[in-house]
Amino acid sequence: MPPSQLKRLKASLRDQGITGPQKSKKQKNSQSKNADQHAKKAAALASIRESFNPFEFKHLARPKKHDYVSNKPQDAKSRILGRPGVTKSQGEETRRKTLLPELSKKNKVGGIMDRRIGEDDPTMSLEDRMMARFEREQQHKRGGNMFDLEDDVDQFDLTHGGQALQFDEDDLGEEDYDAASVSGSDEDGEDGFLKQKKRRRESGGEEDDDGDAEEQPERKKSKAEVMKEVIAKSKLHKYERQQLKEDDDDLREELDKDLNDVLAALRGHMNKQTAAVEPPKEAVKSDFGINPDRALLLEGRAREDADKEYDARVRKMLYDQRSKPTERTKTEEEKAKEEVEKLRSLEEKRMRRMKGEPTSDDEDSEPKNPQDEVEDMDIIPDDAAEFGLGASIEQYSRPDGVDDEDDFLLDDDLIASDSEADLASGDDSEDGSEVDDTMAVDEEDDFLESVRPETTKQSKAVNGVLTVGPDTSSKLAYTYACPRSHEELLKVFKSVSITDLPTAVQRVRALYHAGLHAENKDKLADFACALVDHISYLSNQTPAAPLVVVDSVIRHIHSLSRSYPVAIATRFREHLKQLHASNDPTPGDLTILTAIGSIYPTSDHFHQVVTPAITLMARWLGLTSPASTKDLATGAFIGALCLQYQRLSKRYIPELIRYTTLCLKSPHTNSTLVKSHTQNILTAATLWSNTPSFIEIFTPVLTPLLAASQKATHHRLTILLQASRQARRPQILHNHRALPIKSNIPKFEESFDPTKHYDPDKDRAEAAKLRKEYKREKKGAMRELRKDANFIAREKLREKKEKDRKYEAKERRIIAEIQGEGARDRNDYEREKKKRKSSK
Amino acid sequence: MPGAKATAVAGVKRKREARKPERRGSKAKPRRQEPSEEGDDAQADILRLEAEVLESRKHYNNIATLLQLAKDESLASEITILAAVATCRIFTRLLASGDMIKSKGMDQSEVLIVSWLKERYREYMDVLLRHFLRSEHASKQSTALTLLMRIVKEESKQKDYSWKKTPLTQTVETLILLEDDATREEFAEKFFGQFDDIRFHTFKIIKNFLASDLEISQKQRAASASLTMLLSLQTVPTSKGDIKNFYTEPQGKSPVSSLSVYKEQAQECWLATLRSGIDKNQRKSVLSVFSHQIAPWFPQPEMLMDFLTDSYNVGGATSLLALSGLYYLISEKNLDYPSFYQKLYSLLDESLLYSKHRSRFFRLLDTFMSSTHLPATLVASFIKRLSRLALHAPPAGVVVVMPWAYNMFKRHPACTFMMHREIQDPEWKEQIEEEGMDDPFNMEEKDPLLTNAIESSVWELESLQSHYHPNVATLAKIISEQFTKRSYNLEDFLDHSYTALLDNELARDLKKDPEVDFEIPKRILTADEGLNPLGLLLTQVIETR
Repeated sequence: MPPSQLKRLKASLRDQGITGPQKSKKQKNSQSKNADQHAKKAAALASIRESFNPFEFKHLARPKKHDYVSNKPQDAKSRILGRPGVTKSQGEETRRKTLLPELSKKNKVGGIMDRRIGEDDPTMSLEDRMMARFEREQQHKRGGNMFDLEDDVDQFDLTHGGQALQFDEDDLGEEDYDAASVSGSDEDGEDGFLKQKKRRRESGGEEDDDGDAEEQPERKKSKAEVMKEVIAKSKLHKYERQQLKEDDDDLREELDKDLNDVLAALRGHMNKQTAAVEPPKEAVKSDFGINPDRALLLEGRAREDADKEYDARVRKMLYDQRSKPTERTKTEEEKAKEEVEKLRSLEEKRMRRMKGEPTSDDEDSEPKNPQDEVEDMDIIPDDAAEFGLGASIEQYSRPDGVDDEDDFLLDDDLIASDSEADLASGDDSEDGSEVDDTMAVDEEDDFLESVRPETTKQSKAVNGVLTVGPDTSSKLAYTYACPRSHEELLKVFKSVSITDLPTAVQRVRALYHAGLHAENKDKLADFACALVDHISYLSNQTPAAPLVVVDSVIRHIHSLSRSYPVAIATRFREHLKQLHASNDPTPGDLTILTAIGSIYPTSDHFHQVVTPAITLMARWLGLTSPASTKDLATGAFIGALCLQYQRLSKRYIPELIRYTTLCLKSPHTNSTLVKSHTQNILTAATLWSNTPSFIEIFTPVLTPLLAASQKATHHRLTILLQASRQARRPQILHNHRALPIKSNIPKFEESFDPTKHYDPDKDRAEAAKLRKEYKREKKGAMRELRKDANFIAREKLREKKEKDRKYEAKERRIIAEIQGEGARDRNDYEREKKKRKSSK
Repeated sequence: MPGAKATAVAGVKRKREARKPERRGSKAKPRRQEPSEEGDDAQADILRLEAEVLESRKHYNNIATLLQLAKDESLASEITILAAVATCRIFTRLLASGDMIKSKGMDQSEVLIVSWLKERYREYMDVLLRHFLRSEHASKQSTALTLLMRIVKEESKQKDYSWKKTPLTQTVETLILLEDDATREEFAEKFFGQFDDIRFHTFKIIKNFLASDLEISQKQRAASASLTMLLSLQTVPTSKGDIKNFYTEPQGKSPVSSLSVYKEQAQECWLATLRSGIDKNQRKSVLSVFSHQIAPWFPQPEMLMDFLTDSYNVGGATSLLALSGLYYLISEKNLDYPSFYQKLYSLLDESLLYSKHRSRFFRLLDTFMSSTHLPATLVASFIKRLSRLALHAPPAGVVVVMPWAYNMFKRHPACTFMMHREIQDPEWKEQIEEEGMDDPFNMEEKDPLLTNAIESSVWELESLQSHYHPNVATLAKIISEQFTKRSYNLEDFLDHSYTALLDNELARDLKKDPEVDFEIPKRILTADEGLNPLGLLLTQVIETR
């Protein structure tokens, strides 16, 4: 129970020493004399009065009834929740500062605006203001942008003692690029600033008088100056670093120069020549024989010299590389083994591509698949885009090229005469991608040899494909202009008989070998593109060119593809685009498709040329109905080609089955066509025999097969179907760990705080938070507005009162004046009256 | 002659001040092209006749002359058109000035004149409707239409006009029986499609006309014409505020009193048209716009239940199209369709995934299958059947089925046994190890509840994981990965095609060097002797060329 107010008052008065036991007069007098004592008393009384004002502090409305244990320090009595008086007066003060001027300015036009920089900004210190004003002034003086690069006049002229500070060009250089310009001149180590000072002293005595100005405390640096200093410093560091590096390089070079000597020394026999050049080296030589110290003693040299030399020697030896044993020539078995190894790795890569995995050497160059990135960024607007079905998203499954030529295996007998092939299949230089580098000089002779008639014959013997007689080829010209487009090619090869085409192509390739001239690369790339056009052209002709020739040209394109993959692939894709537009495959298109199947790895999960090609074929199979013998024949070929594409990857082509079934039922069919289609079905069945829905795929084919009286195939297919049924098991696709069942146990919050919100819905929680904040802000704003209004009303009232008071005072004064005047007049009148009376 | 027609039409539409130079222009043009004096004279005559009539009543007989000219088939079409246009101008003037109305205070001769004028007016209508509108000249037809509609407008300004008496009725009736579509299209475009009052009354007229006794062939022609006109309507008014385009200038109340009456008329007209019998293609076109263009016109769409149900039962593409209308009725109007899912299941046939209505169907299918309360057996049948179909479908079809199946599995976990079924029973296991198994699913079964699909597995979807197209193959892999994604947005997968797939790939530039096979084969088309099979096939193709 707190004591009563009166008791508290008494107690506090006593504490302050205001009341107390009665004092003697003497004491009182001594105290009263002390003025200080008076002031103290007044202050104490004020504080007491304040502490007893119940409105000065805001406490809890009523004290707590029970004390309870809590970890919060609570001192209920002294706990002050707020000081309404103080806050109120603060608010009042700010209003007076901000609102009042506004109020007084209201409805007034004109006046003086204070536009001095920073005058109204309390955040700027006086110095800042002065600085800003100075800057503005300077800018005005210059009359332009200080960052204007066109204007190369220095805007700031630093002055000292009224004289402009000017640095000579070299002086500046030395200061800024101190380390750079030294280059070993160690005696020049003096600070630039010191030098300047020295020079100034030299320049004249009178300046020395001004020197004391420097001793004044330094002015605070502006930001620009600080930045300049920082930049200068960092430049200095940079140059120092460079200097160090250069020094190191010099040292290394020096060491390298001596390397031979050291090597010789190490081996124990000194080169005579060096011995002649450097006679003191003899001492060095002897170092290796005896203790260096003793040698020194013997030589009688200074110890430091010896130490230095020793250090240098050790350092040199550190840089010395150990000689490596040369590579031993490999045996045949080892070569074969290497070859096998290479093949194996290539096959591995192919398998990876088939599965659509990124190949190993892409992994380091490209840390992430585009798809991953997309997923990471979480901006998938389209579910389909994830699977490359969107409009613009990059193909993510694109397996990427290993563009080294190491990856190509060549038959020696294809283009044996072609040095390029030799180079590729033989010893590759390390950077095989550069064709120029692979062109070794000594091999060039062989290569040129091959173009000569005698060797051509021989090469042909190796090259089994070319069944061209030797006499025909001897009639061929040996030089051709390199055709850079298909039209040019037709012109150039006009006189070449079709059977000689491969030889001619071979000669062009040899003549314009990339190693012979820089331009030849482009020429050959264009030539390769023209060849691509040409195979299509050849097959489209009537009568079509013999397939042997086409075959060989395709192989040429293949081997050129190693060097110019992009150009050729782009050309192929052009052809595919044309086919895409027409959807009517001519024999030429079919040849192109065949070439694609042979040149590119068709087993890749994704390939820039193969994928569109197979899609085009499938589209044709899917959207055409066999209406003529031609359709049937084309279908048979495309079907066979599709299966050829899938011989390794064994991918399923639904359209093939559909089209073949339609063909078997077609009335235009004949026995050969039926046979080819049946063959396709058999090949497909063998390819896809492991697919889980083999039964569903091939059962529909059975009836048409019977109808076409292909008993043997029907029988085989039935057997395959039986086997497939035998192998069928219920599907087990999800062998991964089962997803956990959704838990419905409520989530318990450790250390639950009822004042907090635990909304699991993030958005909702966020919204609630915002709402609350908004409410609080609104309340605050309203309160402020109300207070403003009160303040304004008060001010207005005050003004009005002031006005009224003034008015009243004026009125009173005037009345008094008038009354005074009246009285005087009356007096005058009275006086006059009296006078008259008296005069009468 | 299009030039003449244009100027003639323009001449009618112009205000009086503009008319004179215009007329000169119309005169000038034919003169240049047709220098015959006779034609020139005839045109001048017509203009003179017209001017005289307008001058005084004495020359009213000129009207008869003009009519004769207009009627005369032997004359060049420009002259007849000009005569008709001149007559039209005369009549509109007379109508506007009230010279053709009998009033009480008239004497005998006046009444006689008025009745004579009325006679001529009727005759003129007849000329326009019979000779012009049914003529073979496009310009004549078009002029007749414009003139008739102009007269309709003029008449509507009269005090006691009624729509029944206006030439609109006859015009529309003539139009929908016309053989060629050009004029009707013009009418549909310029008047029927634009003005609410014309539309409103045309609805009425068509309905009445179709209800009247007609020959079968006539009725069918009228119905198809009416259908094309109705289908040309794109927007449907949704509030009274939308009805504001009027051709006539109503003097009293608005010609279309309320929205409900308006829609009522439209509904009647539609029903009349549909009742008159429409062929398969018309039915399809009706169904394809049903829920956007037709159903909103109907105050009671329930009236269309039978039509939709019949269409749904037709099968094929018609059924697919009817589905959306049916859905509209089911969801909005509480239509009860017995064995709906069985019917839906029967729509899943070989042609579905090749159909051009595929995406439309899948949108609806997704809606129908979105309930989680459907029996798992039913869902399993749908999944299995669609997987079967996808096995022979083009990539675009597979691409739809995959995410759909995923969503279904996700929504109906009971069906996931189709992807993963471990056999616990040792006897059965042994049996399967020995003999293998058949697919328990019965593709022939019509009832989706009895197909036994839930006991089967989706081997088809697994097979598609090795589809030749990389994107499709990757998409198919979602079935065998963990089902972590909540659902796929089917909309993103609907509109794909070969063309899109190819364009998508061929359009972009090569970014990386394409891989080249490391081994150059020794033979491609040839064998050691002669050709290999591929080469033989190619020769075959070249031979059949």
